[in-house]
Amino acid sequence: MMCLSTRSLFSYAAATGIVCVCLNFPVRAVDFAKDIQPVLEKKCLSCHNPNNAKGDLSFSKAEEVLDPERELIVPGKALASDLYLAATPEEPGEKPYMPEKGEPLTGAEAALLKAWIDEGAKWPEGLVLREASKADKTWWAYQKLAEPKHESIDAFVEERLKEDGLSRNAPADRRILIRRASYDLTGLPPTPEEVDAFVSDTNPDAYSRLIDRLLASPRYGERWGRHWLDVVRFGESNGFERNVIIDNLWPFRDYVIESINADKPFDQFIREHIAGDVMGSGDPKVEIGSAYLVAGPYDNVGNQDLKQKAQIRANTLDEIINATGQAFLGMTVGCARCHDHKFDPIKQTDYYQLYATFAGVRHGQRVLATAEQKMDREETLRPLTGKKVALEGQMKKVEATVAARAKENAAQQEKNWTEPKVERTGTEEVFDPVTAKFVRLVSEATDTNPKSGSGFRIDEFEVWSQDNEPVNVALARNGAKATGSARVIEDFPDAYGPQLAIDGKFGARFMSTSNTLTIELKEPTKIGRVFFSSARGEETPGHGKFVFVGEYRIEVSKDGKTWNEVANGFDRKPATERHRMERLRRAVQTAEESNQLAALRKELAPISKAIAAIPELPTVWVGTRSAEDAKGPFHLFVGGSPQKKGAEVVPASLSTLSEVAPVYELPRESGEKKRREELANWITHPENPLPARVLANRLWHYHFGTGIVDTPNDFGYMGGRPTHPELLDFLALKLKESGWRLKAMHRLIMLSETYQQSSRWRREAADVDGDSRLLWRFPPRRLSAEEIRDTILAVSGKLDTKMGGRGFRLFHYMQDNVATYAPLDTHGPETYRRAVYHQNARASVVDLMTDFDQPDCAFSAPRRSETTTPLQALTMMNHQFTLDMAAALEERINAAGAKTPDEKVIVAFRILYQRPPDQEEKEISIKALSGHGMTVFCRAVLNSSELIYLD
Amino acid sequence: MNPFLEPTRRQFLGHVSSGLFGVGLTDLLGTSALGSTGRSILGAHFPPKAKRVLQIFCPGAASHVDLWEHKPMLEEMHGKPLPGEEDFVSFQGKNGPLMKSPWEFSPAGESGKMWSSMLPHMAAHADDIAFFHGMHSKTNTHGPGCVFVNTGHATEGFPSQGAWISYALGSLTDNLPTYVAIPDIRGEPPNGKANWSNGFLPARHQAIMMAAHQPIRNLETPKGIGPNGEKGTRDLVEFLNQRHAAARPAETDLQARIESYELAAKMQMSAPEVSDFASEPQHIHKLYGTDSSNELTAAYAQNCLLSRRLLERGVRYVNLYCASRASGVDGLLNWDAHKTLKADYERHCPVFDQPTAALLTDLKQRGLMEDTLVLWTTEFGRMPTRQVGTAGRDHNPDGFTTWMMGAGVKGGVSYGATDEFGRRAEQNPTTVWDFYSTVLHLLGLDYEKLSFYHNGIDQRLTDVHGGVVKQVLA
Repeated sequence: MMCLSTRSLFSYAAATGIVCVCLNFPVRAVDFAKDIQPVLEKKCLSCHNPNNAKGDLSFSKAEEVLDPERELIVPGKALASDLYLAATPEEPGEKPYMPEKGEPLTGAEAALLKAWIDEGAKWPEGLVLREASKADKTWWAYQKLAEPKHESIDAFVEERLKEDGLSRNAPADRRILIRRASYDLTGLPPTPEEVDAFVSDTNPDAYSRLIDRLLASPRYGERWGRHWLDVVRFGESNGFERNVIIDNLWPFRDYVIESINADKPFDQFIREHIAGDVMGSGDPKVEIGSAYLVAGPYDNVGNQDLKQKAQIRANTLDEIINATGQAFLGMTVGCARCHDHKFDPIKQTDYYQLYATFAGVRHGQRVLATAEQKMDREETLRPLTGKKVALEGQMKKVEATVAARAKENAAQQEKNWTEPKVERTGTEEVFDPVTAKFVRLVSEATDTNPKSGSGFRIDEFEVWSQDNEPVNVALARNGAKATGSARVIEDFPDAYGPQLAIDGKFGARFMSTSNTLTIELKEPTKIGRVFFSSARGEETPGHGKFVFVGEYRIEVSKDGKTWNEVANGFDRKPATERHRMERLRRAVQTAEESNQLAALRKELAPISKAIAAIPELPTVWVGTRSAEDAKGPFHLFVGGSPQKKGAEVVPASLSTLSEVAPVYELPRESGEKKRREELANWITHPENPLPARVLANRLWHYHFGTGIVDTPNDFGYMGGRPTHPELLDFLALKLKESGWRLKAMHRLIMLSETYQQSSRWRREAADVDGDSRLLWRFPPRRLSAEEIRDTILAVSGKLDTKMGGRGFRLFHYMQDNVATYAPLDTHGPETYRRAVYHQNARASVVDLMTDFDQPDCAFSAPRRSETTTPLQALTMMNHQFTLDMAAALEERINAAGAKTPDEKVIVAFRILYQRPPDQEEKEISIKALSGHGMTVFCRAVLNSSELIYLD
Repeated sequence: MNPFLEPTRRQFLGHVSSGLFGVGLTDLLGTSALGSTGRSILGAHFPPKAKRVLQIFCPGAASHVDLWEHKPMLEEMHGKPLPGEEDFVSFQGKNGPLMKSPWEFSPAGESGKMWSSMLPHMAAHADDIAFFHGMHSKTNTHGPGCVFVNTGHATEGFPSQGAWISYALGSLTDNLPTYVAIPDIRGEPPNGKANWSNGFLPARHQAIMMAAHQPIRNLETPKGIGPNGEKGTRDLVEFLNQRHAAARPAETDLQARIESYELAAKMQMSAPEVSDFASEPQHIHKLYGTDSSNELTAAYAQNCLLSRRLLERGVRYVNLYCASRASGVDGLLNWDAHKTLKADYERHCPVFDQPTAALLTDLKQRGLMEDTLVLWTTEFGRMPTRQVGTAGRDHNPDGFTTWMMGAGVKGGVSYGATDEFGRRAEQNPTTVWDFYSTVLHLLGLDYEKLSFYHNGIDQRLTDVHGGVVKQVLA
């Protein structure tokens, strides 16, 4: 606004320049709806709209644009109107001041704008302008599913191929086909025996039976479950700064695998993701689905700044909204957070309707158990808790008697406390000179906890020689050594070590984890004074980071075994009131009372142990629900800022689909559960065309490497256009006809000739359609990271097919406030399970998995990259895992009875590629094997391309 | 035309490159007819000033008012409340009165820039640095803050600046990685590896981690495989893979995979040499302080020397860290001086000062500074006040300093400023997006054109923002 005012001072000359430009165009009567509205909506409103209001300006209503105080538009005087001046160049050919982004007005547009203003700037009454998205509700993806004109996949594909003069390849070789199908459905290679059986099976339904067998394998759910886990951005650490590992989200992974293996109707599966805890309340097997909501990253660092806190909360819900739009609807709803979607007909209110819907969802864990499980535990626990409470009551009684007596006796004791309190900035003890080789500080209590001596800190501990010129003989540079168990952080072990107490510097300090600090002097020395501190020179020694000793003894020794006390702090005034009470209590407690307490503790111990031994109810990361957070009213946030509340919103369906699917709107007071239940039902409503289209496309994508729409998470304007729109609708309808069951869809797709054709490359076809998007050949592919690791394990005979439960780790987990993930140099047998059971933490780089494009699970990952990098070669050649697997492969080859190099090579080729070597391959392999041994041979074949590429 | 360079995918359409400046073989990998992400190198949009980048990152929010931006008002008003924000609550809670810097500032260089006495060695470069004193961030939390400064986004999962530059410009050498991250000996920065992630860009654009104390992973041929065995393995792999590829001549991936094994072998030869400092003369070791009695200084000095050697040998982007994460106990691991600013910075500044100054001097004396852009960054600033009950400063996302120097940068410039207390960016407020728009500009890249389609948006390093800061261009 300030800028626009400056512009109104423009020289007249500049303005006349514009007039010259305008003269090139015939001036005719201006039609607001036709000439002005589209220009404003396209070139101004993207920034200057009520939801964004850049420069505090909105151009959507007459009263804003024609506000006489602002002089944006002065009716009748274009050359006095800031809007016009800003949008036209000062000198011909220059870039005008506005729009800041995007194309300036054309000469014709400027002329029309000028004419409209000069003619009086008539604005149709009540008209509100909106920034137009590029696509509207007529966009292809939002239409009803079209009735199919063909009855088979092949018919659709053939028709499209013909348009470009292309034709399908011949069927693939049977060995290739079984490899393709096995990987596609199970992510694992077929065994040599399976290949042989299939190749020699002449029965016409051999292939169909193969598909049925693969679909019935539990490996199927592991493979397709992994696809889905990518889509729902499943990750097992919270991400962000702390990135703490989450150890109880794996039940969700198992739920996904089990549901897919059981061929659960996918619409039900989707509903369970959004509202499983509502629909299946009390049934953990259904409730677990809603862990989807909290399977993404979120920022859990405490923040006292309220604005930042609000922003973080908004980001957390944004993550859920984004994931939901992409995973189930192929919609980029997240783009409507700060303004109406620029490309798709998604309004900012749509976004905040979802915000209101998810507002009660919090990340976290809770007990997930059946009523029966809960009752059982309660019953086992009850008698034990009763005993425990009784015993604790008895102990408290004894303690109370002691405390009462202690108070009576206080005056007597206090007389002994003549010295000042311990000082964190420096505490001194002077004692009779004594010769010592060792000096130690024994902490009986820290100055913050009278019951424990551990956890004190020392920035410097000085031991002064008894001499004419006393020297601090405790200094490391004077030959002394310090020991004492210290807080250790694994990736920087010395950060708090005892060496810090004798380094002559005060900034860093020893942080004890036991109750002593011992200093060994260079040689036996006569000493008479120690001086120690935890906050030397500090302005605010009271701060918690300087915890010091509260009760202590100073002991010396000649041999490090026999110790003599030379000083203590018991004559000092107590550090705190609690220290005072503890001293008084100890002074008066009788032996009988001590025995009584000890006896009670002894009795209590087995009870506590028994309680601890009762298994906890399963606690799972399904998130919690907060009625407080869910309390309305909700507003849209102008420009996405929680500090700028706009119009009120209520939980409701997305307006985008209002023409095809039913709409709903819930009252402000509607319950948190109801909101998600309603959304779940709306998403999966039979008339909503998107979920079936999006899911059908995902299936196609995983089978053929690229979807009919090549952006599976985005069916909007910025996404790809369908190569076969009618086929997509055909598949979506089939999916619904099958009751949303994936297995029927796999059969339909894989039994097509399109799927079974070879991947042979033909130049004349490639010239027309290089990527084979039209499917004139089957697109070959590299295996995914998981498939590669699983394959190496499988061919080496080491794959452990144990399903479910807690995941394994290929990293070492370290936590010191924040988490650090260090990839492991060796992978033990506990890691030989399928990679889908790896505990995938965010921002943890784990060799093979990361090198081969396993996505970081920060976002929904609709497709994987396939890159080639030297890192892959380094990992595959040099990581111990390859060598271990080479040894295992050698064992397997030997176990198969292969003795001669010739036999070994043949067996190896059978296992790895399910084919015999040709003559040259055999010769060269035998040469390598005989010349360098089996390890070298096995290491090499595990690095071969054929192992990880499919035709 | 080289078949690897054929753009195949829609997201690359529209990125018209004006030429490939210094492309290594590595860049020719990763394209395919197998549905990979297509052409790997875009090339610069216009002739660049800088060829390579060194980014020094001081995590923990290094205090602008104690290191770089002198605020006399803090001395004048020491102990008095911050006008207008008497009881404000920031990240860790309530703030107390204004607190002057524990260190003196005096003029440095011909520019007379007021310089903190804690950074005496760095003063030698005062006339070559362009300061951005008006920086502000959108988050007050370290992890998101670091990621914001490294990726342009405060949430996770976006590609880091080095990944973008690897994606745009590729490598300058076949023997070493394109993009190297050098963590501190005290550990990784807040948010760890997300700071040098490839995000949604292909995996080949991730930084390779290495440091003087930490070799590249899986670089060494395993023990037990001698040179003969290694050769035997490689020969057989080469034979099998060539044969497999020959039968599938159209699948360029397969040829790329064969080349990736050759590149890996080259890297195995070159990388150990980079980390072997034996050939460096004594005066260089002394200059950097690699043999300092302070272990932290020595470790960081070695990483500085390693940085120079990497840049010299053609690494495109080096992301060097001085300090690590928040320990949750105190400010010893990084620049996060909540409680004891003086003691903490008396520890950190000497670690940073001499080795960094030496690295800059060394780049200059070797002529490398001619086409190297040096950046110094941190995630945000610190409050001009003390935290209640402490002698430290809380997080301040509203004002902080970063700087750059080297290729194409005007020296002795201070662009932007915070208010008289250092509380908020006031003069020419500058965003991380502006900063990187400028960096990309110096590398010959248009920040609005460098994009990658992901989940509905043509994503950019500078999000939907940015603007080149022309005032710092030479």
